Amino acid sequence: MNALILVGSPKGRVSASWMLGSRLAEGLRDHGVTVQYGMVHHELRSGEGTAKLLDLFDSSDLVVLAFPLYVDSLPAPLTRLLELAAERRGRTSAPGNPRLAVVVQCGFPEAHQCDTAIGICRRFAGSAGMGWAGALAMGMGGSLEGDFRRLPGGGKQILDALGKTAEALARGGDIPDEAKAVFARPLMPRWLYILTGNLGWRLKMRKNKARRPIGDRPYAQG
Amino acid sequence: MKALLLDGCREGDYLAMEAVLEMTAALAGRADDVEVVKLRELAISACTGCFGCWTRTPGECVLQDDAATVLRSYLGSDVVAYVTPVTFGGYSSQLKMMLDRCIPLLDPRFTIVGGEVHHLLRYRRYPKTVVLGTLPSPDAEAERLFASLVARNGFNFHRTFEAEVLVGVPDPPSARRCAERLLDRIGVTA
Ligand SMILES: Cc1cc2nc3c(=O)[nH]c(=O)nc-3n(C[C@H](O)[C@H](O)[C@H](O)COP(=O)(O)O)c2cc1C
Repeated sequence: MNALILVGSPKGRVSASWMLGSRLAEGLRDHGVTVQYGMVHHELRSGEGTAKLLDLFDSSDLVVLAFPLYVDSLPAPLTRLLELAAERRGRTSAPGNPRLAVVVQCGFPEAHQCDTAIGICRRFAGSAGMGWAGALAMGMGGSLEGDFRRLPGGGKQILDALGKTAEALARGGDIPDEAKAVFARPLMPRWLYILTGNLGWRLKMRKNKARRPIGDRPYAQG
Repeated sequence: MKALLLDGCREGDYLAMEAVLEMTAALAGRADDVEVVKLRELAISACTGCFGCWTRTPGECVLQDDAATVLRSYLGSDVVAYVTPVTFGGYSSQLKMMLDRCIPLLDPRFTIVGGEVHHLLRYRRYPKTVVLGTLPSPDAEAERLFASLVARNGFNFHRTFEAEVLVGVPDPPSARRCAERLLDRIGVTA
């Protein structure tokens, strides 16, 4: 089986999307799947990169979209890729193949804020004649900073969910409901995420030597 | 009253272009000044996800392109209309490119809105917003997703965004009725 992991974060390999997508890829490889990556934001900057991704899309048995929630849906370049893929596949492809799976995370604590984006991916799969293998969604994406071991509980719940997902996808199955539920479980109490998140913005401002106040209004009128 | 229309359609999409024309006419009947921004003609790069607009130059993106001009115009408007082909239940990539660049309008700090976490507002005043989507043929699932996406976008600005989907072949009278209905719903009067 050939899988393509499309990383939909513009931050590429330093993103939460990469952290989750590459871990899923490891699991797929352990089950004998050949995995390739596509960095959507980067590849779409050139015609060649776009054509490469579209070709990979069509030659895969499984496509995984690993992306951050942007304004309640998919980042614009990923949306663009899906538009192009649907146009092209409408003309050429075998129905039901490849299958599409999604790993999405968002900055707010509630995983359900990703539901509309998942619906959009599923609708895309329908339009493009692809199979649908399901989605993992989690909130508190701001906590995913490169190392699972630094997460509460060593990130065990995420790793378990990704492990079960890899196993199921490699068999040609759907993402198990149990994996979805575990993945969506909050990493910490909501109040704590809000507290550390708000502190985090201040610390980043200090690190970046920001000279304006956090609530500045540069476009005046408001 | 000032109105801004963000045209998120592609050249050659006659249904969406009809929706733009009729929404422009509907706005012109109620506002003193209507600005139509054809997003496909502007240079707007994709958001790089750096959060510089919150932690480096709060309120302003670190990229220098046409998005800043659109944001100023957005804040200076009383009503904003997005027009877009409904794309798998979401926005066109053209419109989405601009919407991803709108996060400088918000303050990064978290707050609770309607029982969920969202961001604080940066400005005291934001325009009323309507979204007109187009679909060449009925698609209940895409329409449902679109309504839910627009409503969720409203929560981000602590307000209600209204949506309508125009279905079928280009037909100016029905597009106009759809646009007028939307403006009625947000209480935009002449
Ligand atoms: C332009 C932009 C829009 C975003 N919109 C949302 C949103 O609507 N809801 C949300 O919960 N998080 C939103 N986020 C936060 C990201 O989903 C979050 O930071 C995520 O962890 C980033 O993942 P990445 O490292 O893979 O890019 C947004 C971030 C950016 C830059």
